[in-house]
Amino acid sequence: MTLDVGLPLLVLALPFVAFLLLAIVGPLRRTGRGAGLVSIAAIAISFGAALAVWAREFVAERTWGWIPADGGPIATVGVLVDPLSNAMLVLVTLVSLLVQIYSLAYLADERPGPLGRYYTYQSLFVFSMLGLVLAPGFLQMFVFWELVGLCSYLLIGFWYERPAAARAAVKAFWITKLGDVGFIVGIVLLWSATGTFEFTELFEQAQENALAVPGLATIMFLIYLGAVGKSAQFPLHVWLPDAMEGPTPVSALIHAATMVTAGVYMVTRTEPLFALVPEVLTLIAWVGAFTALLAATMACVEGDIKRVLAYSTVSQLGYMMAAAGAGASPAGFLHLLTHGLFKALLFLAAGAVIHAVGTNDIFRMGGLFRAMPQTGIVFVVGTLALAGVPPLAGFFSKEAVLGGVWEAHLTGPFLMLALTALLTAFYMFRVVFVAFFGRAHAGGHPHEAPWLMRGPLWLLAILTLLVGIRFALGGGETHAEAPGWLPPLSVGLAAVGFVLAWAMYQRRAIDPVRIAVALTPFDYLARRRYGLDGLYAGLYRGIILGFSRLIGWIDRYVVDGILNALTALTLRAGDGLRHIQSGRAQDYVYGVAFGVLFLFVWAQLWRR
Amino acid sequence: MSPFTLEIAIGAVMLAVFGATLAARGTDRRWIAWVATLGVLAIGLVSVFARPTPPALFGMFVQDGLAIFAKRLFLAATFIGLLAGISRDGVACGRRAGEYHLLILSSLLGMLVLSSARDLILLFVAFELMSIPLYVLAGFLKSQAESVEAALKFFLVGSVSSAVMAYGLSFVYGATRTTDLARVAQTFAPGQPLLLLGLLAVFAGFAFKIAAFPFHMWVPDTYEAASTPFVAWLSVAPKAAGFVALFRVYFEGMGDRAAAWSPIAAGLAALTIVGGNLMALPQQNTKRLLAYSGIAHIGYMLVGFAAASAAGMAMVLFYLVAYVFGNMGAFLVVEAVARSERSEATAALRGLAQRSPLLALAMLLFLLSLGGIPFVAGFWAKLYVFWAAAAAGLYWLVLVGAVLTVVALFYYLVVAKRMYIEPPDASAGRIRPSATLAVAVILCAIGVVALGVYPKPIVMAALRIATPLF
Repeated sequence: MTLDVGLPLLVLALPFVAFLLLAIVGPLRRTGRGAGLVSIAAIAISFGAALAVWAREFVAERTWGWIPADGGPIATVGVLVDPLSNAMLVLVTLVSLLVQIYSLAYLADERPGPLGRYYTYQSLFVFSMLGLVLAPGFLQMFVFWELVGLCSYLLIGFWYERPAAARAAVKAFWITKLGDVGFIVGIVLLWSATGTFEFTELFEQAQENALAVPGLATIMFLIYLGAVGKSAQFPLHVWLPDAMEGPTPVSALIHAATMVTAGVYMVTRTEPLFALVPEVLTLIAWVGAFTALLAATMACVEGDIKRVLAYSTVSQLGYMMAAAGAGASPAGFLHLLTHGLFKALLFLAAGAVIHAVGTNDIFRMGGLFRAMPQTGIVFVVGTLALAGVPPLAGFFSKEAVLGGVWEAHLTGPFLMLALTALLTAFYMFRVVFVAFFGRAHAGGHPHEAPWLMRGPLWLLAILTLLVGIRFALGGGETHAEAPGWLPPLSVGLAAVGFVLAWAMYQRRAIDPVRIAVALTPFDYLARRRYGLDGLYAGLYRGIILGFSRLIGWIDRYVVDGILNALTALTLRAGDGLRHIQSGRAQDYVYGVAFGVLFLFVWAQLWRR
Repeated sequence: MSPFTLEIAIGAVMLAVFGATLAARGTDRRWIAWVATLGVLAIGLVSVFARPTPPALFGMFVQDGLAIFAKRLFLAATFIGLLAGISRDGVACGRRAGEYHLLILSSLLGMLVLSSARDLILLFVAFELMSIPLYVLAGFLKSQAESVEAALKFFLVGSVSSAVMAYGLSFVYGATRTTDLARVAQTFAPGQPLLLLGLLAVFAGFAFKIAAFPFHMWVPDTYEAASTPFVAWLSVAPKAAGFVALFRVYFEGMGDRAAAWSPIAAGLAALTIVGGNLMALPQQNTKRLLAYSGIAHIGYMLVGFAAASAAGMAMVLFYLVAYVFGNMGAFLVVEAVARSERSEATAALRGLAQRSPLLALAMLLFLLSLGGIPFVAGFWAKLYVFWAAAAAGLYWLVLVGAVLTVVALFYYLVVAKRMYIEPPDASAGRIRPSATLAVAVILCAIGVVALGVYPKPIVMAALRIATPLF
């Protein structure tokens, strides 16, 4: 038992040690690259340990009482090791390792100070994410949930001198916080009804139908709200595209592969609880599918390569959530894992492109395939995987999701997801054709990225291929129940998307402008992000700021007034009392005499 | 292990220090300090293996869980205090190093015996053995008039309190015809005026030792005038000993009748919290500020005492541990700054964050712990004593304590502001504490953080100790 949690604890501890080292030892942090190497070494060993844990299929649980109370601890901390967390451990450490290596080259121009800060945050992030993954209960999960949110804030705002980055960091923070409020309220309600935060105990109660909590549907809905914020579900998805203001490796790690999937992971982890409330599950499926479709339409009109990928992430998170809502959480989790691989690949490749051409706008790229063929190849591999082309990893997981949703008789979500599959292929190949093929633009000589960046790219590309091939050979354990017409359908949809993109942006057989005119209402709305950002900005300005001004006025004139009076009184009292301390020895003895007298009188007054 | 092993070991260390004093030549006698310090460390390590034994000396001397817990705490505090005092020019390492350490060790011996005493005579003797060396130590800087004056006041108030206490003890004997505390507890019933009067007078004696308001008057003067490493130790170890003796006399074997002490302790607690915190507000000298804040902390511990329950007692024990680390640490940082600044004013801490980031961070941790901010030790300590008091129905007392906590935060954060926000004087360079002092500060900081992050082991140990006493 102890041995079994020892290795997972090591996985968790190493990034934390690296973080502490970098945070406390200032000179080490300020070396920049040295700090990076420390962080990378820690995460590399951590990754090795995670692999060992995964390969040996550890299953263990160990908790320690944390906040003691008379009748057993109120809260526990610990680790819960099972196949779910094992797979997640490997994904998190792998992508983190590659991203940190990649960052060495990507951020080579940073000054040592900020670079050290970057790696300090990175180590803290990995530790927090692993702590979230290993959490055996809601409370620990929430603590680490907030910690990853904090790291996300810090890393989005890494270039905080840029106003856009600072604004995006704040936006990401407070929008996810909206969901977190629901999350914590749900957790506390669940705790007050059941008396425990621990998953295992809750699952046991759920299994014995002993979880007769009034208002369980509301509680689970509140908990789901946390996932809505963190996993960028409609209507709280607006923060994720803005989060692209952070450095690209950060987007790859936090805003594609790991942190944003925390919501999906949480729903998957607590699936036995959600299973008790089918109405919430249905809602999750509908919201997920709708998010997938909405984000895909916005990706189709976006010109910023990172934003296209961001919308695509939102869209794929919708897929995962829809699967979880349809009761096919294994399929959703599988999609989480494969998506983590190829989306990190796409982001890192996009980073290499941005690094080379110095712009995010795909219409100012073009012909990049000739200039940087290796990046081009891996980008196409990622695109194929995301579009769901066999035998790449994405095909199998996406099909499993579609199959699961179909099986649950959720026709509406299924149709939305199918349409999304078509759009996914379309917008991804749109990027490929516009940026990598097509006419090259004058200005600058784009060149292949250094090896430190290409290495992680190739590794991710090969893994994407290998995982897909393993599925193809190993047969579908997860999508056995899917109807036989599903694979041809999904491949067909991807093909339609590909052909459309090819015809519009490569052959120029169809003029994109005419399509846009034909679909004016959609185009108009999608380009304006369906007015949601504007709506939030308006709400923020109108209601929240107005409310804040009111509260501010009350605070300044009413609360402060009372407080100032109280403070003055307290200080006066302290000053007055000081005169007791005369410095004369006889007064001190009087003090003792007075004290004895006080004891006698007081005891007399309160005699029982 | 014999029940007397630790006491005999202290005696051995005292003999060694005495022998060393006879052999010592020259003015740099740091090695004597090392003998005492390492001796205490060794005894501390031995105490880890101490286990409860049956009462010895006809039931006068008990080595139970409470005694062992307290002895470990005294030894740890003494070790840190002695370690911090080792310096080339410190008073503890000069020509009179032998005297200084012998006095500290005898007082320590008094504490160890006190925490095991279950007999009125032994209790009183141990109490005096602990106290009298303290009077001498307070006046150890005999060339300074303030130090002598403070020692004299300390002695005067101490003797009056001892007299009251001895007077009370005679009443207790008169009413019960025994000096055995176990029998006293059996005969005690709230209705007997003579016994109650006696025990109240004894309470006054303890109140002086723990420096509850209004028995506290000696504290600020003594703390300000005496040498800081000694004050760091004086501010925690005898207080802890006082509380252990209080538990012995007023709780052990009392069961539900212990609730009789609740109103008295609650009244004293409220007075002490209000008085200590308010008087700390206008202080400009860090040692005086810490003196008053220490008085307020005694008030918070009395809140736990007023709960008169096993939980309340356990939480006071936890509070004591948290207080030992937090308060000693804060005093030691003052010492480190004073060694280079020759000033103990709060103004001397200006810009400490730039002059010594480590000291500033440690001080911040101690202040946060004393102020009761999560996740440092003091937070749990306050939370737990309030919890115990609320469980005993003393809501008004919890309210008083909580409100005054805000006042306390104010003066702690003013110090933090001086360290972190105000710039240092232009002429001020870096402060480099000596290695021993730095180690002592770091030990305290580790204690504060470790207890704050993971309070469970100490809380559970304290609960295990407290429960069988009722």
